[in-house]
Amino acid sequence: MRILIVEDEPDLLRSIAQALREEGYAVDTAPDGEDGFYKAENYDYDAIVLDVMLPKMDGWEILKRLRKIKKTPVLMLTARDQTRDRVKGLDSGADDYLVKPFDLDELFARLRSIIRRSANKTTNVIEVGEIKIDTALRNVSLKEKPIELTAREYALVEFLALHRGEVVTRTQLYEHLFDENESSLSNLLDVHVSNVRKKLGVEFIVTRRGHGYCIE
Amino acid sequence: MKIFKSIKWRLQIWYGLILVVVLAGFGFTAYLLESNRQFHRIDDELQMRFGLIANALHRPPSRGSNADGQPFDRPPPDQLPDDGPPGQNSRPATEFHLPPEAAGSFDTDDPHHFYFIIQSRDGKEIARSANAPNPPPDMYSVNPLLRVNERPNLVGIQGVYAGGGVFFRRLPSGELVQVGCSVAPELKELHLIALKLAGFGSIILIFGLAGGWWFVSRAIRPINSISDAAAKISAGDLSQRINVAETESELGKLAAVLNSTFARLESAFAQQKQFASDAAHELRTPVAVILTQTQTALNRDRDAANYKETVEACQRAAQRMRKLIKSLLELARLDAGQEQMKRLQFDFSKTIADCVELIRPIADERGVKIISELPPLEISGDSERLAQVVTNLLTNAIQYNHEGGEARVKLESQNGLAILTVSDTGAGISAEDLPRIFERFYRADKSRSSGNTGLGLAICKAIVEAHGGTLEVSSEENVGTIFRVRLCT
Repeated sequence: MRILIVEDEPDLLRSIAQALREEGYAVDTAPDGEDGFYKAENYDYDAIVLDVMLPKMDGWEILKRLRKIKKTPVLMLTARDQTRDRVKGLDSGADDYLVKPFDLDELFARLRSIIRRSANKTTNVIEVGEIKIDTALRNVSLKEKPIELTAREYALVEFLALHRGEVVTRTQLYEHLFDENESSLSNLLDVHVSNVRKKLGVEFIVTRRGHGYCIE
Repeated sequence: MKIFKSIKWRLQIWYGLILVVVLAGFGFTAYLLESNRQFHRIDDELQMRFGLIANALHRPPSRGSNADGQPFDRPPPDQLPDDGPPGQNSRPATEFHLPPEAAGSFDTDDPHHFYFIIQSRDGKEIARSANAPNPPPDMYSVNPLLRVNERPNLVGIQGVYAGGGVFFRRLPSGELVQVGCSVAPELKELHLIALKLAGFGSIILIFGLAGGWWFVSRAIRPINSISDAAAKISAGDLSQRINVAETESELGKLAAVLNSTFARLESAFAQQKQFASDAAHELRTPVAVILTQTQTALNRDRDAANYKETVEACQRAAQRMRKLIKSLLELARLDAGQEQMKRLQFDFSKTIADCVELIRPIADERGVKIISELPPLEISGDSERLAQVVTNLLTNAIQYNHEGGEARVKLESQNGLAILTVSDTGAGISAEDLPRIFERFYRADKSRSSGNTGLGLAICKAIVEAHGGTLEVSSEENVGTIFRVRLCT
């Protein structure tokens, strides 16, 4: 899962980014509105964490422009907690709204929730045959036995499971699993796929030659 | 009683009482005048008829008196009682004939018309007209209260007896002549007049009271709307205003004054609310930093460098909060007028020069040149506070400047005012932002990362205004901004 954070307070930006990376997300950051909008426009993020008060272009403006071209789930971060601000946020196309200061756990939960909703899933648990993926606890079990996966491996499984039945191209996988700072070595993805197959069975991820991967 | 506490009712009761007294006075006077007039008329008529009778008594019966006048029997003279003043030249009359010229004055058939009774000295009736009442009115039982003859040359009693006016007089010859008439028609008329007066008075009273009620209600209606609006405002709805239709009356003016007070109250409240919400808002971000930093750090074990980074970030956030809280307190004190400005004479140019020296390192770092023009100028004020203003304006002039730019500080004296100008060659402030830059927490660049609280200029303005001075700004985009402080010397 790849997430964009747009926030002008550097310390806050850094700590949210670090926390999300540790949760296994690929994270891009933008320190101001213009940069944020540019990135949101040019990459398909799984979710955007958007501050309202930003230099150059404020959160409302970014949201307004973005909604004309994309349905990327957006979580607004703001220091204003008056009802009319929240209503304004939700009405202008934000998927959720979080008031500063917030707990990181709540931020994670809300992010999971908006990502899940955008993939039309209603529960945290995705079952593929005997494999169970719990997106809230971020763990995977095979025949009720927990399987140890690295964060990147888990992200790969979760992304494919959320797009179950669809063929996911390698480019898509790169875009969603790696952030802008990582060099996307083409064989890195193959390594992750092969590791997941070793742990969960070869049949779990199907390769469509020339197209990409798929969970059926 | 509640009624007597209401201004409306009190006014109404006073008004009604005065009206009743005036109307009753007028009505009573009118009634008295009219009844006087009526009784005087009757008096005159009675006297005129008495004269006729008296003349006829002392004159031998004229010819033809038997034809027109009526003969009256007289009682024997020896039976006359000695109860009247005997006349000197009295000739006791034994019979009486109404002279023909007097006949028209007595309509003997009409019981309400004038009548006469003549009694001899001893009380025997000598003569009476046909319509005279029977028994005749007794001189001593006549109610003299209403009519006592006050004319000194007449000896007799005039009064009212059994609904009639009577006139008694004893003649010098000893006969007691009584002339009377019924005053029933006059009394009836007077009664009618009294009724009319009472009715007319009541109508005037009703109209007066109704008019007074209407007028008083209208006059105090603004009071009700004032109290309604004030009640709603005290209940917390500050947007309430008094609805004033007439603005010219005293109450209308009062309402207008109150309305403007309410408006100022509302805006002051709104400002205060905005300020509190802004302050909370400004504190949220550093708190969010501390929370996320610490939560991230505690999520798993980290190396020392990582912890150090977290602690440093927390420290920065805490410093920012401290700065913010300090500024907030300062503003709150300035607002409350608690911060007393010292009023000491000092050389303002020296203070400014000190500030310039203090800031020069920052300017050098940013590559901004400070040009100062500071002729000595004594002013009275709080040098420490004014130094704060100068430092703040200078910091802005450097911070929002470009490399190689200039910050100019100029002090001059003009018409007894000290004018300090701080100008820069920065990007300037847009026309949209310019009117708002003295607002609390207003930042033209919208970013929080600059480390400014957004209160600096608001504090400067408050300090200058506490000195009785003004702080103005003018700016042109891409040319620069000029701040001008005017202070009394």
